[in-house]
Amino acid sequence: MKREIFYILILLALVSCEDVVDVDLPETEPRLIVNGLLRVDKSQEFVDVRIEMRETTNFFEENTTTQVESAVIGYGVPNQFGELTQLAFSSLTEEAPNTGVYVPDPNFSSDQRIRTSEVELGVVFILQIQHKDKSYYARTEYAPTVPIDNLEQGENTLFNEEDTEIIVTFTDNPDHTNFYIFDFDFGNFQALDDRFIMGQQFDFSYFYDENLNPGQTITVSILGADRDFYNYMDLLVEQTQADGGVFQTPVATVRGNVFDVTGLDNIDIFDNVERPDEYALGYFAVVQEFSRSLVIE
Amino acid sequence: MCIFSQTHGMSKRNLILIFALLVQIGFVQAQQKFTLSGTVSEANSNETLIGVTIAVPALKTGVTTNEYGFYSLTLPQGEYEIILSYLGFQDIQETIRLDRNIKKDFSLLETAEELEEVVVTDDAERLDIRKPQMSVTTLAAKTIKKIPVVLGEADVVKSLLLLPGVTNAGEASSGFNVRGGAADQNLILLDEATVFNSSHLFGFFSVFNPDAIKDVKLFKGGIPARYGGRVSSVLEIFQKEGNSKDFKVNGGIGAVASRLLLEGPITKNRTAFLVGGRASYAHLFLPLFDVDNKAYFYDLNTKINHKINDRNSIFLSGYFGRDLFSLSENFVNTYGNAVGNFRWNHLFSDKLFSNLSLIYSDYFYGLELDFVGFEWDSGIQNFNLKYDLKHYVDDKLQLNYGMHNTYYVFNPGRIRPNSPDSGIVEEQLTKKYANENAIYLDVEHKISDNLSMNYGLRASQFNRLGQDEFYVYENDNPVLFDPFTLIYREAEPIDTINPGRGGTLKKFFNLEPRVSASYNFNGKSSVKASYTRLAQYLHLLSNTSSPTPLDVWTPSGPFVEPQLLDQYAVGYFRDIQEGTFSFETEAFYKEIQNRIDYIDGANLIANKAIERIILNGEARAYGLEFLIRKNEGRLTGWLAYTWSKSEQRTPPRDLTAFGIDTGRSDLETGINLGQWYSTPYDKRHDLALYGSYELSKAWSFNANFIFQTGQPTNYPIGQFEFEGLAVPYYGLRNKERLPDYHRMDVSAILTPKRNDRKKVQSEWVFSIYNVYNRKNAASINFRENEDTGRNEAVRTAIFGIIPSITYNFKF
Repeated sequence: MKREIFYILILLALVSCEDVVDVDLPETEPRLIVNGLLRVDKSQEFVDVRIEMRETTNFFEENTTTQVESAVIGYGVPNQFGELTQLAFSSLTEEAPNTGVYVPDPNFSSDQRIRTSEVELGVVFILQIQHKDKSYYARTEYAPTVPIDNLEQGENTLFNEEDTEIIVTFTDNPDHTNFYIFDFDFGNFQALDDRFIMGQQFDFSYFYDENLNPGQTITVSILGADRDFYNYMDLLVEQTQADGGVFQTPVATVRGNVFDVTGLDNIDIFDNVERPDEYALGYFAVVQEFSRSLVIE
Repeated sequence: MCIFSQTHGMSKRNLILIFALLVQIGFVQAQQKFTLSGTVSEANSNETLIGVTIAVPALKTGVTTNEYGFYSLTLPQGEYEIILSYLGFQDIQETIRLDRNIKKDFSLLETAEELEEVVVTDDAERLDIRKPQMSVTTLAAKTIKKIPVVLGEADVVKSLLLLPGVTNAGEASSGFNVRGGAADQNLILLDEATVFNSSHLFGFFSVFNPDAIKDVKLFKGGIPARYGGRVSSVLEIFQKEGNSKDFKVNGGIGAVASRLLLEGPITKNRTAFLVGGRASYAHLFLPLFDVDNKAYFYDLNTKINHKINDRNSIFLSGYFGRDLFSLSENFVNTYGNAVGNFRWNHLFSDKLFSNLSLIYSDYFYGLELDFVGFEWDSGIQNFNLKYDLKHYVDDKLQLNYGMHNTYYVFNPGRIRPNSPDSGIVEEQLTKKYANENAIYLDVEHKISDNLSMNYGLRASQFNRLGQDEFYVYENDNPVLFDPFTLIYREAEPIDTINPGRGGTLKKFFNLEPRVSASYNFNGKSSVKASYTRLAQYLHLLSNTSSPTPLDVWTPSGPFVEPQLLDQYAVGYFRDIQEGTFSFETEAFYKEIQNRIDYIDGANLIANKAIERIILNGEARAYGLEFLIRKNEGRLTGWLAYTWSKSEQRTPPRDLTAFGIDTGRSDLETGINLGQWYSTPYDKRHDLALYGSYELSKAWSFNANFIFQTGQPTNYPIGQFEFEGLAVPYYGLRNKERLPDYHRMDVSAILTPKRNDRKKVQSEWVFSIYNVYNRKNAASINFRENEDTGRNEAVRTAIFGIIPSITYNFKF
């Protein structure tokens, strides 16, 4: 929510002009991108596991799909020492050739799909990938969330007449510190923490940049998040909405939680301090999701 | 001597008498110094004049009037020709017989707009060359009003940008950068009161009403011991006190804003008042274009001055300024300064001048977001007591000493629901309290005819006082480093303590020596050198490239060290052709310890504990400045060029300081992998050319041209898509540069023939800002195009070509 204040100031444009310009950008080698946000719908039997593997490109081009040699998800509850001793596995394979989309392998002897009944608070997920002679490792904890109480369209505008306002209402879980990610469709996200709204029913407005036509359906989802994923999405949104003109905040390379562990004997004792150039992008998270749809008037 | 030949024949008694006489004569001769002192003011208004030169050519000595127009000159008994000179005024030459202490006030008459050269006495000019003061520039109010700026409004801060060593971060930025220093490192004083935000409307205008200004001085280095608290510069502005002879009105009507100033006597020659206001009104036209947004500012200056008697004067003044910016009722942002100021000048003797100032100032900013349902306000208040004494010992020695004390209250923020059905819970971020005090001694010493020195010491102390709540962290470490993501993040406090307001959280003490020397060669040129150490206890938290109203001032404390600067400067100054031209060059080198920087993704707004998002580092800057001025003739102006480099470094921390010892020395990367990187205000080249041509009594033309290397910025080295978001990613910090910045402005000033019967004087100012319409990049951002979905680079430029007309009047 504090971010919203920043965005508004960022979008101020009193007498300024914006033009698209040509810029020479520095070159660099491509990196692996793991689009591994798994949204868990508890009303379904299985988790919809779809992880997209891509490679980075120059800023002005689209990312290219890539294939990995292996991708496995392991999950379970850590013991009292924090160790994962009892793990279930889900082996992934490419859904169709050259799509770069990885789903639980249907050709295994046992069912590789993940049951939503096995996904509860406290379950830890691990993702291990082999790609072009490099090994990657990611670890995350399942984050539940509360549902959306109400979703409706508002009549206010912020910057210009075509703004569409929607009003979202939900009730925060007072038991602990929560983080929420809102997916407003079309690549619009908002990260929220419950600091000022502890335990309260809270409603807020969101204004779409896009021109939405009457009759169009939008889907708004609320996703759970742990602190790391919240920080990640917050930073991502800030980095992508930085058409802030002069209110630019320092840029950051948002690394995510997929680490390059090539050549490391012991995954438990390592860090990237001595290897700041080895990293993958994207994030691996397993979160609960509630959605609502709305038809724009 | 014949006395000796006579002593043989004299009695002892006579001898003793003669001895006594000799001794007495000797005593009298040693005591035969008298003081000439008084005040120099403007003849038509009784406005005291700052920096008037009072020269005694016969002794090659002199003095200048201080900030309140007072001077004091102690010389051996004798008869002297005294010459008073001041730019824009007619000289006064008088012969004074100094055989006792004399109190003499002078009144100077403005020169009419004559085109013949004003005869400037050689010796008076050379006096400036002699003074050890270096790295300081004085700007006359008249010059400020001639320099063309955007929207036709004369502006002090924008005029400073034309001087060497001064730049800013771009058009819509508030604040300015001096010698590669940050915008929060400038001490801005308005009639002795500290100003925290020097601009209106995000930097478009400054808070200083040019009609009310009397004197502007910018110290870039060699800062005397009577100033302290900020490490890069001192901008000292004195305003007019009020005309105690006649009632006068001064004003201007412009395209965007207007101003009006009234001053006059309450009791003639004794008490006077001044009231000046400005307001902008462009927002009133916006509804015509169906735009529901508003942006305006207004400010008000009020002053009363009263001369109690020859030895005492008091001044009471107030300043109030507000900005309001709103986007359709849903988002309203207000901010501004309010200052109340009481000063008392007291003459203890004709050699000892004192000024007592009592100041209250309040900087406030507030935000109301209707669609989220809250109000936010934050600010800084301070109570300031200053006692400054100037002791004019004799014509070779002046001592300045005094004491300053400031008590601060910082409100980092308070959030409140703005309606009963808002879901926001009220919260007040813990207020912080601090006390800063300093004592100083500053010596202006003329050691010989050619060598003068300024040396002094300032001892400053900062007490970070207790507050209601304070966080405690594990190992006293508020910032954690994640060695996997290589990102620093906030630590969760393990405890909250309540130290209460009585105690002290941390104390800092610093000695700040200052030395500068000037060696003068035959009155035409001089070499100067200086060393300055300064301590800064307040920091402006801003992680944008230039300050915004949301930035929060924070005091030093257990987690934030004061910034400490060492600056070395050398310079060469030369008068050419009897003062028609002057040439100055200076080289400087600065090192700053404890310059803070922010961790990636730092969120400053509503942050309860900023110690969790900052890291300590160091900064340094060095450069070379050139300035050539043409001071006389129909064509005047200057060319200023600065080459400089400004960089900072935030190395990985030594964690053993937190009691963490893992045996590894490289547990963190620091920011930018611990390497030096350009500060956001590093400008390699800065060129400014200003010219003013008086065509006739009616017309004058002014132009300026500015060229600056583009600001450091970051370009992405690639991009990745995640959940429909196209995200750029970067390499090392601040490695790229925006395109170079340059523009030219012109203005023409028409002063219609003055009809002496008509009381009103008027002038028309026609100006064009950015005549060749260059779209200077204020920033280049990378984003996805809404319509095509492709990525693009977008340049934001603030001003294209802007013509404007202003009508100024006075009567």
